[in-house]
Amino acid sequence: MQNDFRPVLKVAEIAPGGMKAVEVDGHEIVICNCDGQFYALARRCGHMNASLEKGTLDGTILTCAMHCAQFDVTTGEALSGPVPRDAGDEPLPPKLGTYLQNLAALMQSVRTESIRTYPTKVDMDQIWVSMH
Amino acid sequence: MKKVVMYTLSTCPWCRKTKQAFTDWGIHFEYIDYDLADEQTQERIVDEMDKYGANGFPFVKIDNEVVMGYNPERYAALLGLKH
Amino acid sequence: MNVESRKKALEFFYKKVVDPLGYKFTPDQELKDFLLEQEVILEQKHGIPFCPCQPIRPRRAQAMTIVCPCIPFHRQHYDAMKRCWCGLFVHKDVTDPTQLQQIPLSEVPHAK
Repeated sequence: MQNDFRPVLKVAEIAPGGMKAVEVDGHEIVICNCDGQFYALARRCGHMNASLEKGTLDGTILTCAMHCAQFDVTTGEALSGPVPRDAGDEPLPPKLGTYLQNLAALMQSVRTESIRTYPTKVDMDQIWVSMH
Repeated sequence: MKKVVMYTLSTCPWCRKTKQAFTDWGIHFEYIDYDLADEQTQERIVDEMDKYGANGFPFVKIDNEVVMGYNPERYAALLGLKH
Repeated sequence: MNVESRKKALEFFYKKVVDPLGYKFTPDQELKDFLLEQEVILEQKHGIPFCPCQPIRPRRAQAMTIVCPCIPFHRQHYDAMKRCWCGLFVHKDVTDPTQLQQIPLSEVPHAK
């Protein structure tokens, strides 16, 4: 099948440095505007599936809002895992402390995977994405 | 013969250079890599370094003299060597 | 995670932080590469890229003062040496980093 690009957003809908989530064929993806270059990648963070468009984009590096895992949007490569949950020095109420410790223990075994990217192109003020 | 003890980090290139310098001079030395030591030893090391106002490695003790930071000239001088 | 990719990402972030502080990466490419690699390893171990040449203390507030780039926490000290402790960053006007010495904090006048 030839690469079937379809239009998903207008170029003007995402400012440089911005991101927007769209659904194409039942697949959720995020479009990133890196200084006028558009990249598309799967919406779910390779760590714990948080919505990536809620994170921050710095150059071509996306930082997830949930636990700060970082990805290269040009390749989908996972660059770093989450920053560990740390309650710091202050003593916590025992139940909350235990809860956070258990959560951290569960998260220890979660790997941060690289994510799928999709080819994009710009044509006539539209951003086009191929789902194949 | 002078007693040489140093606190170092396995990740620090200046610590490597320090160990190499003493090795090249054929001077015997003891070292502890802070990052590979147990908690108690780590606490002991930072307590000692804090007394000298040191917050970086390498931390080298030649008998009673302390040299903080990579300084082959000072090591050599304290050892009575030409550098 | 790929170490080389992470090194490049750290380099990208650090450049933006140290530039307005008056610092740049050391021209010593080998040292820069070695230190960045150690930081990636430390980040993989601790989740945070600590300085490869300073002790990671158990109290979080103290540990945070050696998260790279740690220049803001040691401004006077590093400005006196024209380099940061591990040497990853040097003053912008430095051309020969081998001339820069590690000076203990106690020997820097007026610094705390």
